[in-house]
Amino acid sequence: MRPTTLLRLALAGTRTDTARVVLTALSALLATLAGLAALTVLAIPTPAATDENQNRWSEQYHNALLAEPGLRGGTAFALLMLMVPVLALAGQCARLGAPARDRRLAALRLAGATPGQVTRLVVLETGVAALLGTLVGLGVYLVGRDLLHRPDAQGQLALPTDVLPSTGALAGVVFGLPVVAALATALMLRTVTTSPLGVSRKATRERGPGPWAGLLIGFGVASFAVIRPVVYRFADDDELMAWLVPVLFAVGALAAMIGVVIGTGWLSYHCGRLLRRHARGPAALLAAGRLMADPWAGSRTFAALLAALIFGGGAAAQRAYFGTKDQLEREQSRFAGLDGGTNPFYLSTMDYVDGAIAVAILIATGGLIVALVEGIVARRRAYAALVATGVPRATLSRSVAWQALAPAVPAILLALTVGTLLGRGLVAEVSAGGGSATICEATAALCEDPATSAQYNRIVYYPEVQRAVPVPLEHLAWLGAGALAAVLVTVGVGLLFLRASTALDELRTT
Amino acid sequence: MTQLQARGVVRAYGPTPALRGVTLDLAEGEIVAVTGPSGCGKSTLLHCLAGILRPDAGEVTWRGHRIDTWSEAARSRLRRTEFGVLFQFGQLVAELTAAENVALPLLLAGTGRREARTAALTWLERFGVAEVADVRPGEMSGGQQQRCATARALVTEPRVLFADEPTGALDTLTGEQVLTQLVRLAREQRTAVVLVTHEPRIAAYADREIVLRDGLVDHTGLGLDVPLAGGTR
Repeated sequence: MRPTTLLRLALAGTRTDTARVVLTALSALLATLAGLAALTVLAIPTPAATDENQNRWSEQYHNALLAEPGLRGGTAFALLMLMVPVLALAGQCARLGAPARDRRLAALRLAGATPGQVTRLVVLETGVAALLGTLVGLGVYLVGRDLLHRPDAQGQLALPTDVLPSTGALAGVVFGLPVVAALATALMLRTVTTSPLGVSRKATRERGPGPWAGLLIGFGVASFAVIRPVVYRFADDDELMAWLVPVLFAVGALAAMIGVVIGTGWLSYHCGRLLRRHARGPAALLAAGRLMADPWAGSRTFAALLAALIFGGGAAAQRAYFGTKDQLEREQSRFAGLDGGTNPFYLSTMDYVDGAIAVAILIATGGLIVALVEGIVARRRAYAALVATGVPRATLSRSVAWQALAPAVPAILLALTVGTLLGRGLVAEVSAGGGSATICEATAALCEDPATSAQYNRIVYYPEVQRAVPVPLEHLAWLGAGALAAVLVTVGVGLLFLRASTALDELRTT
Repeated sequence: MTQLQARGVVRAYGPTPALRGVTLDLAEGEIVAVTGPSGCGKSTLLHCLAGILRPDAGEVTWRGHRIDTWSEAARSRLRRTEFGVLFQFGQLVAELTAAENVALPLLLAGTGRREARTAALTWLERFGVAEVADVRPGEMSGGQQQRCATARALVTEPRVLFADEPTGALDTLTGEQVLTQLVRLAREQRTAVVLVTHEPRIAAYADREIVLRDGLVDHTGLGLDVPLAGGTR
C-alpha cells in the first residue's frame, strides 16, 4: 500500500473518528507543553559561586523554585508528572469510536488489506494525530515564550523565558511523544485480531486478577521508607547519593503507582463478586457482571485520577511535615522569648504543588468522562435491547453508577493511603533544637561591642525536640471528596449520554 | 377475544415511509406470522405493536387501552409485565450468566433472587439448556443463546411474545428446534405470539400469516399445518 493511500485511509472516518483524532492531538499538545516546561526548567544554567552569590542562585528569577538549583529538579519532576494524566487522557481518547473503527477495519480486511496493513493504519492514525499535537504544542510554546517574556524593573522574570532547551531535547519531545503513542497503540493491538468478519479481542480471563499488585505497592512504600536511612548512612558519598536517592524515589513512586492501578483491577473484580453475591436489584447485578467481566476497565479508567491522588496523598504528608516543622520552630522561638517569624517558602511552595494536583485531577476527570461515555456508546445496542424488553432506563442508570462508584471508592481510598504512606516514609518525624543561639537584648552596637557584649547577649539553649508528623486526615478527606465529586460528575455526564444511547432506534442500527 | 389491535398505523423514518396504514388484530393465545420482503416494514410493525416505537399516525390498543399515547415509562412497564420481546441476536447481557439473564425480568418485577433463580433454572430446563445455567453468553453456541433468550422472554409468562426473526441467526435444524419449543410453550401458557420472519417455513408455525409489502398489508392467510414436537396443532 502506498504511504499516501495509507495516510488517506488512516484519516478517513466518521465524526467520532475526527473527535478521536482531535482529542489525541489535544492530549499530545498538553503533554508537549508539560514536557517542554520541564525541559526549560532543567535548561536554566547554574551560575558560578561568587562572594555575593555563594548558593549559586539564578537570580534573574523571582521564584525560588526556578532560582534555587536544588529545587529545580523537583519543579521539573512535578511538571513531568503532569504528563501522566495527559497521557492517560490520550489513552482514553484512543478508545473513542472503537466499534465504528472496528467495523471500518473489518471492511478494509474484506476489501483485501492484510492484518499488518490494518495494524499500520491504526498506529499511523495515532502517530499522525499525536505529531500534529506536538507540532502545534511546540508552536504554542515558542509563541507563549515570546509573549510572556516580561522582565520587571529589576530585570527579573516570572518564568524562565530567557532559556531554551537544546534542539535535541526539543526534537526528543516533539518526535518522541508521537513515536511512544504509536508504539503504545501497536502494543495494545497485540491482543486484537482483525478479520474480514470483524474485530475480536483475546477473551478475558475467567479468574480475576491476582493480589500481587500488593507486592508492587509494598515495594514502592519500602523504597521510600529506606530513603532517609540511606541518606544518613551514605551522607558522605556524594557519588552514590547522586544516583541512589533519585533511583529509589523514581522506582518507588513508579512501583506504587503501577501497584495501585493494577490493584484497582483486583478491587473491581472483587467488588463485582461481592455485588453479584449480595445484590438484590437488577442494577447492581448488571454492574457486578460488567465489573467481573472486565475488571481492568476500572484500572484503565481511573489510572490518571489514581496517579494524581497518590501524588496528592504524598503532597499532603509533605505539607503536614512542613506545617509541623513550622509549628515546632515557632514554639522554640517562643521558648527563647523571641517573636519567631517563620519562613513561609515551603508551605507556599506546597500551594503550587496542590494547584498542580488539582489540574491533574481536572485532566483526569476529562479522561474519565471520555472513558465512561465511550463505554456507554459502545454498548448502546445492548442497552437499547434491554430497554426494548422493558428494563427501565433508571435501572440502567443505577447500573452505570454502580459500575463507576463500586471500584472508585475503594480505589480512591487505596491511592490516598499509598500516597500518604509514601510521603510519611520520607517525613514521618520532625526534629528541631539541640543547639544554642545568641540573643541580643539591646542595640546591635551594644551587643557587638566587646566591652558590653557579655552584658547584653544571652545564650539560649534549645533542647532537641522530636515530634511525629500527624496524618493529614482533613487534607486527605478533601482530596478524597474532590476525587469522588469528579467521579460523580463523570457519572452525571455519562447518564446524559445513556439516554441517547438507549434510544430504541438503536435497534435498527447494524 | 382480541387483545392487541393496530388501526391504520403509519410510521416513517425521516422521508422514508415504513408503514403506511396497517391494521391488525391479535387474539389471546394466537400465533401470527408477519412476513414480507426486506424493508417492507415487518420489524417496524412489531416495534409499534410492542410499544417500542410510537406510530406517527393510527392507534395501537391493548385490551381496549390506547398504548401509543402512553409515556415511555408506562410502555416500558407494559413490556416488562405483559409482553415478552425476542430479537435475532445481541439481546442477552454479555456479562451475566444464562440463569442471571433469564432471571433479570423477574428481578425487575421485584421477585426475590432465590425465587427468580429457581424460575430461571426451570425455564432453562424446559428449553434443554440447564447445563449452561452458569455460563456466560460468549461461551455458548448460537442455539443455546437463542434458547436462553427465549426462556428470558417467556419467564414472566407474558400475554404476548414479540419475536423478530428469532431463528434468523441459527442453522435450519437448530432454528426449527428453538421454534418448536417456543411455539409449544407459548401454547401451553396461552401466550399470543407475533412472529416476524421472511421464511415461509417459519411462518408455517403460525395460526395466521400477514404478508406486508411496501408498508401495507398485502394479504392475510392461514398458516400451514406443521407437526410439532409432542403432538399436532
